[in-house]
Order: sequence, then structure tokens, then C-alpha cells
Amino acid sequence: MKAPAIAAVIGPRGRLSIDFWSVVMALSLLVVALVLVWPILQVLLLGFFDPESQQVSIGGYVKLLTHPYYLGALWNTVLVGVGGMAGACLLGVPLAYCMARYVVKGRGVITTLAVMALVSPPFIGAYSWIVVLGNSGWLTLQMKSLGIALPTIYGMSGIILVFSLKFFPFVYLMTESALRNVNRSFEEAAENLGCNSRQRFFKVTLPLVFPATSSGAILCFVLSIADFGTPSIIGRDLRTLSTLAYNQYTSEMGGTPTMAVSISMLMIVISMLAVMLQRHLIGKRRYAGSMTNRHVQKPVVGLHAVAVHALCYGIVGLATLPIAVVVYTSFLQTKGPVFSGGFGLNSYARVITEVPDVIFNTFSFSLIATLLITIAGGLMSYIIVRRESKWAGFLDSILMVPYVVPGVVMAIGFLLTFNKAPLDLVGTASIIVLILFIRRLPYGVRATSAVLRQIKPSIEEAAVSLGASPAKAFLTVTVPLMLPGIIAGAMMSFITAINELSSTLLLYTARTTTMPVKVYSAVLDGEFGIAAALSTLLLVSSGLCVYGVLHFSQSKESAFV
Amino acid sequence: MAHVQLRNIRKTYGAHVALKDVSLSIARGAFFTLLGPSGCGKTTLLRAIAGFHQQDAGDILLEGQSISHLGANKRNVGMVFQDYAVFPHLNVFDNVAFGLVQQKLPTAEIRERVGAILATVQLDLHAARMPHQLSGGQQQRVGLARALVIRPKVLLMDEPLSNLDAKLRVELRRDIRSLQQSLDITTVYVTHDQEEALSISDQVCVMVDGVVQQVDTPWVIYNRPANRFVASFVGSNNFLSLDVDGGGAARVLGQALELPSAVRRVDAKGLVASIRPEQVVVDAALAEPGVRVQAAVRQSMFTGRELQLSVEVAGHGLLDVLTAPSAAMMALLPGHAVQIGIKAQDLNYFAAGDTGVLLQ
Repeated sequence: MKAPAIAAVIGPRGRLSIDFWSVVMALSLLVVALVLVWPILQVLLLGFFDPESQQVSIGGYVKLLTHPYYLGALWNTVLVGVGGMAGACLLGVPLAYCMARYVVKGRGVITTLAVMALVSPPFIGAYSWIVVLGNSGWLTLQMKSLGIALPTIYGMSGIILVFSLKFFPFVYLMTESALRNVNRSFEEAAENLGCNSRQRFFKVTLPLVFPATSSGAILCFVLSIADFGTPSIIGRDLRTLSTLAYNQYTSEMGGTPTMAVSISMLMIVISMLAVMLQRHLIGKRRYAGSMTNRHVQKPVVGLHAVAVHALCYGIVGLATLPIAVVVYTSFLQTKGPVFSGGFGLNSYARVITEVPDVIFNTFSFSLIATLLITIAGGLMSYIIVRRESKWAGFLDSILMVPYVVPGVVMAIGFLLTFNKAPLDLVGTASIIVLILFIRRLPYGVRATSAVLRQIKPSIEEAAVSLGASPAKAFLTVTVPLMLPGIIAGAMMSFITAINELSSTLLLYTARTTTMPVKVYSAVLDGEFGIAAALSTLLLVSSGLCVYGVLHFSQSKESAFV
Repeated sequence: MAHVQLRNIRKTYGAHVALKDVSLSIARGAFFTLLGPSGCGKTTLLRAIAGFHQQDAGDILLEGQSISHLGANKRNVGMVFQDYAVFPHLNVFDNVAFGLVQQKLPTAEIRERVGAILATVQLDLHAARMPHQLSGGQQQRVGLARALVIRPKVLLMDEPLSNLDAKLRVELRRDIRSLQQSLDITTVYVTHDQEEALSISDQVCVMVDGVVQQVDTPWVIYNRPANRFVASFVGSNNFLSLDVDGGGAARVLGQALELPSAVRRVDAKGLVASIRPEQVVVDAALAEPGVRVQAAVRQSMFTGRELQLSVEVAGHGLLDVLTAPSAAMMALLPGHAVQIGIKAQDLNYFAAGDTGVLLQ
């Protein structure tokens, strides 16, 4: 049973009394309507508008779904999503199985590396793999000198490689925790009924962790099709819907961005279809694990041990290779944009002297957004978890929307909405803070909701029955208990905020450039030293936050998914 | 005088009616227990008194004053929770002091009152401990002390013992009862455990499907259940069908039986008689009027304190029998024949239907 409201909204004799939580509810709905629903509606409506005839039309969508140029991009997008998802599963599931079932040395290292791969700036993968495997990449040249020609990294294969290595930790972390929660009795029963170990895995274990694995996989799919930086850096001439939406928007600038918003809607639809498909597949398959018979990790010896360790370290090693490349590159001595041989701190010196405002922007925007997310997220999650009303249900479902709206699309929505008085925010810092806020709010709400669900409602009821008002009970009892979760959630929000590229790229101006935007343009300009130094700063900040999250959250790895 | 009064309390969740116009009055100083199967509305009713649920209709009066319009934090009722709800971030002392701090009492008084109540619940040596260092029984004592220290007008307890193991449950049950009696505090207690309800209460209220079935002393609830539901829910019972012919002559288990006048007056169709398993006499003469019949043992289970027999009367189905174990009784194996006897005075008669009323 859902926990009842602490104070009844409707008093006796139907009198409406204004209480703390009703005010919070009203404000939450207002914020969500203004910053989330309205911009998306703008995108939706504008797609039905024909700029030439100035009339309602479905011409944009017809063109999108019939013209080979757009169909090609659609096909590429689906391919990139499915490829990234499949690659992530192929890496994530075996790693999860080894980690959950065998004694692996250095588990902490493996998990930390996987988490670092996950929280590293999304675009450094593409750029680092070019450094290694590009036309004049380090490995490419080595191999060439041996007479071996490596296949090209540019295009579809490169994008899928980068996405697989970037997003597999989602599949890994979710599957591993599910594997730990599978009651061993199920597998023992399967064995008892005559399954060998392979049959047991495919017939019992895998179906039992399917809900978790598929959730991770769908997340990989949605993030892969939404990602902008990777295809635009490593894709060369390959069009995906997200690069197309960006390019169309920038080329339609000034006119009516009908094609850009049509593409945007299509991306939302694809993401939603993917999420719905996964829900349908899971259906009612919810397996509550009773933990009477826990798995113990089996020791491995000899060749078996070598294989298990090679697999685990191989996967996380490959995934963190871009990090190593970036850090290494950042310490190479430069002269102007070119590397002059040897090591040095030139790149850092240039970053600090040439773009200190970019660093300041990133951290100040992200800090403000994180603060907003933390406060709003804490209050909203309380409403969603504790108040039973249809508005709370509405808030819960509407907060799912940012999960399926790609950053580029959200940015277009913002540009269409906040472009006239009294809300003319285009080009300001506020619009960037706002988009960081709304894009990451659902993650903040989810993090605090998870903590809140673990706090029994009777704890607050006890406080209220002892004379504390609902607001006071929340502040003196609930908030202190939620605090570790709130801090962990805030750090996660901060990590994603400082690394955000796909939405800010459409919104920034010279005064509001952020580090990811600067890295992106530096890569395009061939300023690899500056890109590497800025990326390293982002990595270090993210790493410190990861440490904080691990310190504050009770369920360690699951804090990241 | 009624200390707590409930008038036509109604509560619905969508189409489900959790409380159907419940009216009760609870005397000052009484230990009043709400007993019923899960989903019967007993917890909903308790939480309405506490102010966690607002009832849809009806009024709740405390000392003659309506408290329906008051928030849960203004009612001055103590609440003890099933899952203890001891604040995990506060130590034992601060947990118990929480309500007094809310009242902004002087520190010295808080210290004194918390100390006294902790001594009463035998936790005075554990004041500085954190909740996770306490056992379940100790945590519930903290919950009890915390509710009592604010000197509430009513103490509400929501299945406070159901998360404890059997032995501790009986022990803490005794402590709660003696504490309640020494403080003379009106207590409303919710449980689904009928033995607990009978042993601890002054008054028991049996509920099902949001409707009060019977309110009375444990003795009356057990021996004169108001209807068939109460008779089957509280303790166990054998229900025997009555064959009444046109002339008013009745037979039970195939044997002639003289019906009390109250039973003779009503329509004989569907009437049943009930007999408690421990009231069935095995292989012994009946001093009082009643029926004796031949039966066959089908199952025999020895539980230590007693022997549970399941016996079959040919053509009339199975009967549960509870008897004191003895060498002779233990020798009864499945298939053995026994004589069973039922005293007429032990029988209760109910009208037709699952909730047929007691005829008396």
C-alpha cells in the first residue's frame, strides 16, 4: 500500500486547507509545465507547420519518411543504436557474469574503471580512438610499418565501437546486481533437474536477469541514438538523426526549423518505441529474489583463472583506453596547435591563459544546476513516493520524458520557447543552467526516490504523532536520513552536467561556452592539446565525484545506473 | 464515560469500502483491541484515530471533543508502530525525547521524564545506544517509551508485536499490559492474533470487511460469539448441521437433541450448532444432557500440551477434537473407534449463512 499523506489536504466538511506539500506540488507542476512540457509541445507543433505556405501540414514528416536523404539518416541511427546496444551487451553480460560468479582479483579496480568509462566525457572516446586507430593514428602507423592495413575507424564501425565501450557499464552494473540477487536455489534446482552449466545459464539464469539486462540495453540504445559528439567526430560523412537535427537547425537558423523539429520528433518516437518494447518484453516478469540462498563466488584456478581475468581486465582496459590517451596527450609538449615532442605543461598553460572563462562557466553552471536539481529533486521525489494523488502520478510519468528526449531536441525546444519576452533567455547563462537542470532532474529524482523508498513512512508518522508538523518532520527526520543519497545523487548530477554537450552545443554563445563545447570545437580545429587538457580536467573532476558517490551511497555500483 | 468515541466512520479507497460506518465507544482506561483478518479495516480505523487517514465521513471524539479536524501532530495521541519506526539517526534518549523537544519543554524536565520512562521499560542502561545496536524487542520498547513519554490521551498500537519472535512476543505482551494498567491509559490495540487479543484486552472488537461484528469482553467473544464469523475466526470451532423435522424434533450428528426455546422459535432452515474442539468429550460418560455418538479416528497429532484428533462420524464428516494427552489417548491410532460426547450446554446455535447470528 502506498503511504498515505501525512496531513490530509481536504479537511473535514470538505474545507480546503493549504499545507506545505500541496504548495510544493503546485510549484513542481508549474516548473515541469514551463521547462519541460511547453518546449516539447513547441517542437511537436512546429513539425506540423509548413514554412512556405504558412499553414498546417504534415509535409515535413512526409519528406522525412520518404526522402532517401533522411531515410538514410534514419537507417543509420537505428543501426548505430542497435549496434551500440548489442556491443554493450556482448561486453557487459560476460563481464557481469565473471564478476558475480568468480573470485576475481582487484574487483574494486575493475568496477572503478568501468564507472570511470561511464562518467568520462562522451566525446573523448571518439577522439581518442582516432588518435589510436585513425588514418594517422598511433596503432595504424605501427601496423602499417609492419605491412598490415587496419580497417578504417571512421564511419559506422567506429561509432559502434565507441558506443559499445562507452555504454557497456550500464549493462554490466545492472546485470551484475541482478545476478547477485538471483537466489542460488533456482540454479541448483535447474541442475537437479538435469541442466548442464550452459543450459542452466541460458534457460534459467539469463531469463531471470533479463529484466535488468534489457533495462541496461535499452538505456544504451536510447543514449546511442541521442549522442551527438561521437558521430560528428568519428562518423565523417555518416549522417545520423542527431547530427542531422543539429545541422538542419543551424542551417535553418532564422527561418522556420520545420525539418529540424520533424527529425527531433522522430528521435523521440524511436526512443519511446524502444522503451515501450522493453516494457512489453518484460511484461509482468518481476522476480523478487528472496536472499535465503546467496551465491558465493567460486574460486578459479589455472587457465580458467587466466581467461576470467583476461576477459575482465581486457574489457575495462579497452573501455578506459580513451581516458589514458587523453591524459597522456594532455601532457605532450606543444608549440601552437602542434605537438613538438617530449612532455610539458603547455596545454594546461594555454587552457588557463586562453579559456579560463570556459572552465569557470562549466563549474558555475553545473553547480547552480546541481543545486536546483537537488532541492527540486528532493521535494519532488517526496511527493512521488509519499503522496497518493493523481497529480503525483502525473509528475512521476512526465519526469520520464527527458529520458527519451535527446539533448539536441531539448535544446531546439528551448530555443523555440525562450526566445521572446518575458522569457527571452537565448544566449544567456540561464538557458544553459535551465537545460542542464531539466535534462538531469529525472536522474536526481530517481536517486532520491530510491533512498526515500527505503525509509519507512512510519518513521515520519512517528514524528508527526509526537507533535512535529509535516514540514518539520520532513526536515528533521526524513532529510537527515536521505542525506547520503541526496549527496550521492547531487554528485552524479554534477558529473553529467559538467560533461553535457549535445544540448549546450546549440545554446552556447562566446560568453557561455562550456568545457565540452570547447573540447568539441578544439577537436574540429585540430587543437588536440587544448582538447586533451580540458578533457583531463573534466575527467579529474568526474573522478573525484565518483569517489564521493562511492563513499556516500550504500549500494555502491548501482548508484551509477 | 466514553473516552474515545467513533461515530459512523466511513472510509473508501476507490470502489473498495474499507470502513462501513463504524461506531464504537471506548471507556476511559480500557485496553480495547481491534481484531480481524488482514484487510478487515482495523489498521485503517486506528490510523484514522491517529490522524494519518482522514475518514470520508463520520466523527472522532476524544474526551467529548471532535478531533477530526486536527492534524496528526495536534492530536496528542501516542502511536506505536508495527515496524517500530525508531528514528535510525537518533540514539535511544533522543528518540524518546523527540516529542518532548517538539513541545519545547525545559531540558531538565525532558531529562527527568525520559529517564523515568526508560527505567520503566528497562532501557535506562541503553540510553546512548543507536537503534541498530538494539534487538527488535528493545526497539519496540523504545517505540513504546517514546509514545508514552508525551503523556498522550490515548495510546494507539498497530500490531506492535507481530515482528517479534514467539517467546519475546508473550513477554512483551505482559509488559505492555501491566504498564497500561499501572498508567491507566486508554489503549487501542490492533492485532490479527486472536490469542493475543483475548489475553491482553478488556474489550475485543472483532471486525471483518470494514464492519464491526462484535464488541465484548474476551470471555463473551470466545464463549458466546455473536455470529458464525466470530465463532470461526476466534479460536477454532466445529459447525454441525441441524436436522429439524416438521414437528420441531431436532437431530445433530444423527442423534436426537432438545433445542433451547430461542432456537425453536426461528426458521429451522440452514441452522447450525457449534462446538469447540476442547469441549468434545472422548470416551467418557456425559454427566449433563447431550449427545453421544460413535466415531472413527482419522488423524492424531500430539503437540506436547495437548492431543489434536480428527474423528469422523459416519455420514456427518470430520470433527476436530482437543484433549489432554494420556497414555490411553495416545494409543488411539487412525482407524480406531471412539465414543464422542457433546454437552447440550456447550452448543451455540447460529442462523443460516456465513455471518448467521447467534441465537440466544
